[in-house]
Amino acid sequence: MLNLIGIVGTNSDQSTNRQLLQFIQKHFADQANIEICEIKDLPAFNKPKENQAPEEVQALAAKITAADGVIISTPEYNHSIPAILKSVLEWLSYTSQPLVDKPLMITGASYGKLGSSRAQSHLRQILDAPELKARIMPSSEFLVGYSLQAFDEEGNLKDANKVSELEDIFNDFTQFIEITNHLVSKNPTKKAQKFSWEDN
Amino acid sequence: MKIVGIVGSNADFSYNHQLLNFIAKQYKQLVEIEVLDIKDVPMFNQSDDQTDSAPIQHLNEKITEADGVIIATPEYNHSIPSALQSVIEWLSFKIHPLDGKPVMIVGASYDVQGSSRSQLHLRQILDAPGVNAVVMPGNEFLLGEVHKAFDEEGDLKDAETAKFLESCIKKFIRFINVVNVLNAPEGMKDLSSAEDLYATGSIDTTIQGIDMMADDWVEQAAEATGAVDGDTYVKLDRGILTVNQLNHFLNSMPAELTYADSNNQFLYYNHHLDAEEMFASRRPEQVGYPLAECHPKQAFSGVSWVIQQLRKGKQDVVKTHVPTHGPDKFVVHNYQAIRDEEGNYLGINEYVQDIKPIIDWYLEQTGQQLTGGDVDAVSGATSKVDTVSGATVKG
Ligand SMILES: Cc1cc2nc3c(=O)[nH]c(=O)nc-3n(C[C@@H](O)[C@@H](O)[C@H](O)COP(=O)(O)O)c2cc1C
Ligand SMILES: Cc1cc2nc3c(=O)[nH]c(=O)nc-3n(C[C@H](O)[C@H](O)[C@H](O)COP(=O)(O)O)c2cc1C
Repeated sequence: MLNLIGIVGTNSDQSTNRQLLQFIQKHFADQANIEICEIKDLPAFNKPKENQAPEEVQALAAKITAADGVIISTPEYNHSIPAILKSVLEWLSYTSQPLVDKPLMITGASYGKLGSSRAQSHLRQILDAPELKARIMPSSEFLVGYSLQAFDEEGNLKDANKVSELEDIFNDFTQFIEITNHLVSKNPTKKAQKFSWEDN
Repeated sequence: MKIVGIVGSNADFSYNHQLLNFIAKQYKQLVEIEVLDIKDVPMFNQSDDQTDSAPIQHLNEKITEADGVIIATPEYNHSIPSALQSVIEWLSFKIHPLDGKPVMIVGASYDVQGSSRSQLHLRQILDAPGVNAVVMPGNEFLLGEVHKAFDEEGDLKDAETAKFLESCIKKFIRFINVVNVLNAPEGMKDLSSAEDLYATGSIDTTIQGIDMMADDWVEQAAEATGAVDGDTYVKLDRGILTVNQLNHFLNSMPAELTYADSNNQFLYYNHHLDAEEMFASRRPEQVGYPLAECHPKQAFSGVSWVIQQLRKGKQDVVKTHVPTHGPDKFVVHNYQAIRDEEGNYLGINEYVQDIKPIIDWYLEQTGQQLTGGDVDAVSGATSKVDTVSGATVKG
């Protein structure tokens, strides 16, 4: 069984992205153990003197390292991802860089009809930066538009087409994890000993 | 003109801070720039609204007052830092000070790419509807390999780079003027409804129960309030005059004075000339009118725009030159905000003045002469407000 973590990309008490991950967790329970990780209580990134992350960030990094793959579900704020999610990625890139070579899938939910498409494309570009360098599943985009109306009382996605779309993507992801892990075991990215932008 | 520069980094030592300091110092003859930090702004959280906190309100006020904003952004993971992102989220959640504001982006980063990718993200973010800034196109100023860029005095080492930066700043100043024209009354937006020009509301000092349109509004209002007149003394800050003395004093002012209160009611003018002799004609029976009755409908948007500038504290005085008095006069309509000690908006002091004699006298006294310059530069910025002044003459 796959061990995955799902990162809720917001610090909001109410979140349709949290709902989406909870649905994914439940819906694919027979294929994967998915642990949902919150970032709401993580401190805001500020360049630390030593390359040491605060404990809460280290705990998240350890979970990422241990997992077979990561799902990030992002809201859209101002056509981008929320600052709090960006802050977490800054911590990870600046310290132990656990996302390097990690198979990763992006999902997102937004109140409007576009379903976080612009946030997802920013997130891809960010995760492609050399200190993050996650292995993002290509050619896939799972968007939940009108997210406030998308779930029923049991927290299930109401739209059957959306559910089967998600099933296809999740199926791709399980295979993508396998292929990626095979690829990177042969050819791992060397992690910089220290954050590298400032090495010159 | 006043610009604020926002440092997009919360690092203790920031090259982007250094870059803004350099801009503020180097180009201070061109424009006044105040550099602002974002270090104290908390992480955005929609479940914990801190819009009213001091660091956010400080930014809000500074940005609102400024004519333009320069944002200097580092690049973190091919995007802008979370610290800057968080600031923009606060400034697009319950308040929107960047709405319509001219913005210029600059950036410094370690990579040779010099924040190119973060600048593109920042453009997209500033374009989102909740932010709605007006970002200057082109003129991308990227400072790559920033750790090698400055000398010990904090000056840019490379003269070509400094020259290019100067051309960007100059373009930005022109861009601000263009955006202001777009935002001004003749632009796309109709602002007529922004102000209650019919004075349907009331304020503490509104005199109730009298028809604002009555020809003898002043007499009726005086009776209703038991207003004093003639040789009765009134105590002022600082002095005592009789009402007559006060009238003669105000009539001797070298300007036509008009008081309209914050409820948009016309309450007073220093009446000593006939309407035909005035630069901006007023008739005695107009006093008491709501401002809507003093202007033609097509001027409402412009009038509202001026009042909003004053009421919201965007400007303390809006000036406009009215060229219809011939070449030997230079008549200026000044819409001056009247505020109390706390800065609360009380109304408008519109004073209309021919400033040509003042300038002539100055030239005569100092023996200086005017040399012809770029005439467009003088009138260009103010011409958009002319609809207002044209309108104030109507009755
Ligand atoms: C500061 C701010 C900016 C926002 N900007 C956008 C936006 O650009 N596009 C969008 O679809 N929703 C925007 N929203 C609404 C989002 O909160 C919503 O669409 C979000 O994706 C829902 O995710 P959640 O339920 O997990 O919080 C914004 C909300 C906030 C607080
Ligand atoms: C988390 C993090 C991520 C960074 N990512 C990038 C990057 O993608 N590209 C780049 O050119 N520099 C990157 N840098 C280096 C910055 O350019 C450098 O720290 C720069 O000095 C930041 O600007 P400042 O001095 O104004 O804070 C990164 C730095 C940090 C702390």
